[in-house]
Amino acid sequence: MKIKVTISLFAFVTLYLFIIGAAKEDGYGAYQPKAIPFKIPKGWPAPLQNIFAKNKLTLQGFELGKKLFYDTRLSKDSTVSCASCHQPFAAFSSLDHDVSHGIGNQFTTRNAPALMNLAWMNTFHWDGAINHLEVQPLAPLTAPNEMGQTLEGILQFLREDEEYRKMFKAAFGDPNASTERMLKAMAQFTGSLVSSDSKYDRVMNGQDTFSNFEKKGYVHFKTFCGSCHQEPLFTDLTFRNNGFPLNRKKDVGRMAITGLAEDSLKFKVPSLRNVQLSGPYMHDGSIFSVPQVIDFYLTKINRSTQGLDSNLRKPIVLNRLQKNELVYFLYTLTDTSFTKSKRFGPDGPEQFKH
Amino acid sequence: MRIKIKNFLLLIALVVGSTTALAQSNTGSVSIHFQHWANNQALVLVDSAYKNSFGESYQPTRLKYYVSNIELRQSPSKSKHIPSVYLMDAAAEQDLSLSLQPGIYHTLAFSIGVDSSLNCSGAQSGALDPINGMFWTWNTGYIYFKLEGYSAESAADLQKIEYHIGGYTGILKANRTVVLPLAQPLQVVAGKSYQINVSVDLDKFWMGKSKTSIVDNALIMSPGLLAAAAADNIPAMFTIGSIQ
Repeated sequence: MKIKVTISLFAFVTLYLFIIGAAKEDGYGAYQPKAIPFKIPKGWPAPLQNIFAKNKLTLQGFELGKKLFYDTRLSKDSTVSCASCHQPFAAFSSLDHDVSHGIGNQFTTRNAPALMNLAWMNTFHWDGAINHLEVQPLAPLTAPNEMGQTLEGILQFLREDEEYRKMFKAAFGDPNASTERMLKAMAQFTGSLVSSDSKYDRVMNGQDTFSNFEKKGYVHFKTFCGSCHQEPLFTDLTFRNNGFPLNRKKDVGRMAITGLAEDSLKFKVPSLRNVQLSGPYMHDGSIFSVPQVIDFYLTKINRSTQGLDSNLRKPIVLNRLQKNELVYFLYTLTDTSFTKSKRFGPDGPEQFKH
Repeated sequence: MRIKIKNFLLLIALVVGSTTALAQSNTGSVSIHFQHWANNQALVLVDSAYKNSFGESYQPTRLKYYVSNIELRQSPSKSKHIPSVYLMDAAAEQDLSLSLQPGIYHTLAFSIGVDSSLNCSGAQSGALDPINGMFWTWNTGYIYFKLEGYSAESAADLQKIEYHIGGYTGILKANRTVVLPLAQPLQVVAGKSYQINVSVDLDKFWMGKSKTSIVDNALIMSPGLLAAAAADNIPAMFTIGSIQ
């Protein structure tokens, strides 16, 4: 009897150790995610959707998200990555492109927005079509005129690639990619793109001072721009009709999403952080410089436009010198520690092999 | 090693404990079976053509919908609510299985659709994984009800018909509640199994509170007033059948 018990106990223990061992050694390394903190810059509000409460930010998740972001193989013909239209040196917008280019020389209908401080946003796209950072990548990944892939195609690729299998294991404990794990990893990367170290920020923190021009520009900014481009994010996250006329694509903006006539020609107020680097401007990228955007607000708005935002009903009056002062101020929002960050940028030639 | 043996003993205790709990189950099990119909015949996708309320002939290829907030009511104040979301597919019929406390149940209720909050919750898995094709990638939100096929009356490309019904905000909200009083009260006894049959009749999709004809609207593929109106007809598609 005693022997029997001992034998069966031994068998169970062996089986147990075997199961534990098998879980550890699937050939894709250990699952030991390292939590990394998400720092809220001094004086900033709490992130609106608190995305990292449910989607725990880890070094491994971030690295996986970054690899996905820079990988052209996620597109149908392996030519377009997220970074193709969201270039780090342009504050993750498209340098000098009015609208984005997708696979097969196709044009989209809108200008790629700069990606920064996304953890504070609760809508995405110029018309707010997307309601959560995690599901945002589904739009460009599957749009026929952007990356043109299917979710099935992407997951199959990720499940067959040994490097990705290792990274999914390291980030989520399972080498197999799933929609949820892929999107969570991407949001860990994109949600971490915080730009909060511009000259403006250093001045606000008492570490730097504005020049006289910049100081005067800041006053103009607060008088004429700051109610919509609210500090510290430089957007109040609303949708507004800024008097920009219906373009040749007949893009009605927010109305296409809400179905409400009152939302006709309303577009999301973009952040002005890194505005110096994120041109061209407006939802269709049809204005190519910051001074031209200011000119639009000074002289080109038709103030009797139906539905024009009430903040723009009164004329904005700035003389030539004052306009330059405003431009100088806006350029203090440039954050090169963000655009040149090694943490956010491509890892070098290795990343471009694909 | 000592720690591992301790773990092992714990494992044994857990296994034994849970088995005992199962054996002593004091609930009954109920499965809900959805049967799909068109023109008074069992629905056959792809290979069959049917006529809708306007006499328009169509050939359905796909019928999928979300069932959520299932509720079995005992009295106005007492009911069993199941928070899960189920994706039903007429091409791969699968019963929903629930466990219920003993008692008398008189009404089955559920929603066709996905709660608004789940439309705004980021990346999800299981029934709510966007890979199931029931998610609009370009305009966040779930497609609650999807009927696709072909019809000679359709002016769309390839004579397609596509009804993708969804929407989670304001007047565009397309979630609809179905309340089905059971033909006779269901008395659930611990340890026993029951089956509730629910009929889903495609004939009711076209004309009811609103009208959706193929010649006028062969395609409804985004949230909007058309989708919300089409959703109004969905509850009447569901009727209670026999209980076994």
